Amino acid sequence: MELEFNIDNKSHKLQLEFKDGLHKANLGDKEYVVDSTVISDHCLSMLVDGKTFTVYLAEANGKKYVSIAGEQFLIEEAESEASAVSGADATAVDEAPVAASPMPGKVVKILVKLGDKVEKGQGLVIVEAMKMENEIKSPVKGVVDKVNFKAGDLVDAAQPIIEIKPED
Amino acid sequence: MIKKILIANRGEIAVRIINACREMSIPTVAVFSTVDRAALHVQMADEAFCIGDPPPLESYLNIDKIVQVAKDSGADAIHPGYGFLAENPDFCERCEKEKIIFIGPNSEALRLVGDKVASRKTMTEAKIPIIPGMMKSGRDVSGFKGAAEKIGYPVMIKASAGGGGKGMRIIDSPENLDKGIEAGMREAKSAFGDESVYLEKYIEEPRHVEFQVLADNSGNVAHLCERECSIQRRHQKIVEETPSCALDEKLRAKMGEVARKVIKVSGYNNAGTVEFLLDKNKNFYFLEVNARLQVEHPITELVTGFDLVKQQIRIASGEKLSFAQEDVAQRGHAIECRIYAEDPENNFFPSSGKILFMKEPSGPGVRHDCGIYSGCEVSVYYDPILSKVITWEETREDARKRMIMALSNYTILGIKTSIDFLSSVMGHPEFVAGNTQTNFIDKNMSDWMEKKKEKRFAKEALIAAAISSQIKSPTKRRVKGKEEMPTPWVTVGKWSLGEQ
Repeated sequence: MELEFNIDNKSHKLQLEFKDGLHKANLGDKEYVVDSTVISDHCLSMLVDGKTFTVYLAEANGKKYVSIAGEQFLIEEAESEASAVSGADATAVDEAPVAASPMPGKVVKILVKLGDKVEKGQGLVIVEAMKMENEIKSPVKGVVDKVNFKAGDLVDAAQPIIEIKPED
Repeated sequence: MIKKILIANRGEIAVRIINACREMSIPTVAVFSTVDRAALHVQMADEAFCIGDPPPLESYLNIDKIVQVAKDSGADAIHPGYGFLAENPDFCERCEKEKIIFIGPNSEALRLVGDKVASRKTMTEAKIPIIPGMMKSGRDVSGFKGAAEKIGYPVMIKASAGGGGKGMRIIDSPENLDKGIEAGMREAKSAFGDESVYLEKYIEEPRHVEFQVLADNSGNVAHLCERECSIQRRHQKIVEETPSCALDEKLRAKMGEVARKVIKVSGYNNAGTVEFLLDKNKNFYFLEVNARLQVEHPITELVTGFDLVKQQIRIASGEKLSFAQEDVAQRGHAIECRIYAEDPENNFFPSSGKILFMKEPSGPGVRHDCGIYSGCEVSVYYDPILSKVITWEETREDARKRMIMALSNYTILGIKTSIDFLSSVMGHPEFVAGNTQTNFIDKNMSDWMEKKKEKRFAKEALIAAAISSQIKSPTKRRVKGKEEMPTPWVTVGKWSLGEQ
């Protein structure tokens, strides 16, 4: 069985087989023999070629949160190739790059004006959340196309505060 | 002794205080905002009352409501924890008026130490060393030369109206003074509309060293040695340790005496912390008094053996200190790492959401002060501190290694945390060497993200993800495409009590 996952937006493919109580995983050109046992709802013990790994897992909104020895991974199951391609196209056409708060908060200050030229990484807006001020930076080089909020407004996570028209 | 304590706080510190009260058989009253109904402190207290909406002004800063709950529930004392109302002299004064014991300093001392100008004056009169500087700002360049000579180079030019580094200049010799002042004034003018600047001694490679002090209501004052809190991000401490690598027995005794004097001249009682800056030549300067129980108090508890919350409660009850300065000794070394809901890969941006799963560290010499649990929500309204991991061992090196072990055994899934970042700080050669100045993170951790890209267990994580998507646990269920945390209440099915 072939599976595809994204870690940090990078795609990884692997083959997984289950035979005689063991998993065989093919990653790249290497094969791993894995003896796994479920310890609890959120804990999996793996013996990979004799080395022990205690893995903690949780799932929400289709994402897998995985932790091994303090290292954290956010893993998404890749969509089938056809839908992944059309999905990518749709976002490319419909969505301009935006500055959005990763969490609900309050707009403290808008640092740019409509029509301003901005560099990638330039601060666009300051949002306060959890009593801290955070500067949201421009994801691309371009021109400020829309400013949807003003200082004092409350914003939700991922709500576009400022939209940028990209420029090469 | 106090009969019942209301804890005017939330999160890990409220839990910490409730635990101390339970050990002392003192009933506790929790207060909570509507978003905190399921919070740990609410579950742990004997009584709990909702005091309003999530914004702090509506709830945890609402003096009228908190005082009313104290009266209605028969609490004769309030512990404010840290943050929120802890250093609010109006709240303290209100408690005094209402005959409720405020577990902290008296309102007069609280007001004094909270006023930078007034406390600087008091300390100068008491000959407490403060950062030398001009007491007044000016626009007249000629006056600065003499002042700079008197203070001693290097000096720092600061804007009177300022903040955020604008108008700041470091001047290392007299020939650069005029030019620097002019530039500083220009910058101050454009940033704040006011060109006034003043001079202060520039502290090179400063360390942040603070002394824990306890003072009873009869004027007995003892210090419980130092904490070094130099590792900071956003000017907020994230790692603390004691003893400080920079202090020897002689300097510790000297600074401790000054700390006691600061508390005495301020008329301060209960627990407090005297903050100093220590420069590379071991000169120290008084900064301010933190008039509260500190976030980092556990490291002091582990090396001195005193329970600071219980000490606070006993002092507030009118008991005298049960020990003298000579009875205080440090044993071993303790380190604290603060665990915040934040994303170190994105400029420490706060993170919120549901904690899907959590496994806490434990073991000999590992303490975990915690305000969260598996399944709890981390809201956006409050300071994102989740918990603190504190380790103790005989030596600094062993305490450090124990911390790395504890952090690697600490799992929080569902939100971003600083655990991994703290682990890298603990493993950094400069931390190992004890080179912990306040610029540690800027100086040593800027390449952290680059290094982090090479994860050690990516292959194993991938394999685990693949296996888990094949073993569909029967306890999981799909609700509108969302995977929910399984709970026995969902999965247990039909049941009844007793025999069928």
